[in-house]
Amino acid sequence: MRWEVFKQDAPSKPHQAVGSVHGADAEHALLNARHVFGRRPAAISMWVVRADRIYGRTAEELAAEAPRAPVASGNEGTYHVFRKASHRRSMTFVDHLTDVRAAGPSEALAVALAGAGAEPGLAWWVVDANDVHATDPDAAASWFEPAKDKTYKQQSQYGTVAAKRNEGAAG
Amino acid sequence: MNEQVTGALISRLTAMADDELLLGHRDSEWTGHGPLLEEDIALANLAQDEIGHAVLWYGVRSQLDGSDPDSLAFGRAPQGFLSCGFVELPRGDWAFTLLRQFLFDTYEAEALARLAGSAHAPLAEAADKARREELFHLRHTGLWVKRLGLGTDESRRRSLAALEELWPLYAGLVAPLPGDQLLMDANVLRDWASLSGAVIDRARTALAAAELDPGHDPDPAPAERDVVREHRRELLATMQEVARQDPEAVAW
Repeated sequence: MRWEVFKQDAPSKPHQAVGSVHGADAEHALLNARHVFGRRPAAISMWVVRADRIYGRTAEELAAEAPRAPVASGNEGTYHVFRKASHRRSMTFVDHLTDVRAAGPSEALAVALAGAGAEPGLAWWVVDANDVHATDPDAAASWFEPAKDKTYKQQSQYGTVAAKRNEGAAG
Repeated sequence: MNEQVTGALISRLTAMADDELLLGHRDSEWTGHGPLLEEDIALANLAQDEIGHAVLWYGVRSQLDGSDPDSLAFGRAPQGFLSCGFVELPRGDWAFTLLRQFLFDTYEAEALARLAGSAHAPLAEAADKARREELFHLRHTGLWVKRLGLGTDESRRRSLAALEELWPLYAGLVAPLPGDQLLMDANVLRDWASLSGAVIDRARTALAAAELDPGHDPDPAPAERDVVREHRRELLATMQEVARQDPEAVAW
């Protein structure tokens, strides 16, 4: 089963969609998400959501659908609304924008769009809050803190490679 | 520290580092062969972490005797290693690899908690650093042991076969070294006498949740770390091959 992964880098930052993992269930998916997306980069929290539970619309799809009254097609409850605001970021997709109470994802999106005002979006995702499986805040120390001591290394940082290159140039 | 205590600490650090290095290497043999991409990455992460812990222990040793960690890892003959048989066995199947890693993580969690209170400050600091990510290791490997134990007939059969092979050697991993008593007297090792029992109890509890019964406790056998077994020889021959061909790495 495929799960979408949302990573939060700092308390002031939103959860952002960073990619997907396979997992037999939520716990497995969270562990794999940490291994794949949280070993080096900064993180303080991760969410996973079953990919088939995500309601997604692009700006083009919304334009083609309109005008149509939002359909109360799901559970009355809290929905997380995510938006992709620009093409500038290549490593993330949508960002967590707001939470709304609604009776289904399409209604939640309509509420969010009305509230977002003039701010355009290229794509939108809506997730029932009950479908979110989050990392345990108490576990953050063992899940995310060690990343601070690990660094990315470019090939050029290894002295051996430089020595080889110099030798090749000399030869 | 007097010379005897320093010597005992060097042996203790070397044994711990060698265990981490060889287990990390065995885990790394899965790289590119994992059952799915995410687990391939996950096991490579665990392997790197264990090798990272080996670097920590070799580093603490280096402060005592000026030894070079790279030379210890890649330039030492098999008879100079102090690894135990538990970490030397071939990687086996997925159940064997994950069960071994889980049992090792269980041991490490108990050992690191004790080492973090060591009177030798560099050892305590290194243990504290390694301890955090070890809790995450346990979550991951514990998850797999439970799923494989409670999974299909095949996963259960493979888990039980792995346990049968690993359990008798587990005592060798946790057994005290000849010099440990000196280190306990000097508070370099604290609460160390309780380590073996605590590890076995903790492992039993987790195994029971996966409905895996190892039977009686492993016989408290000496670790036989000074014995050169064939698996150690074979592992080092592979791991050290490139370094032996080109020790200074000045030509491809």
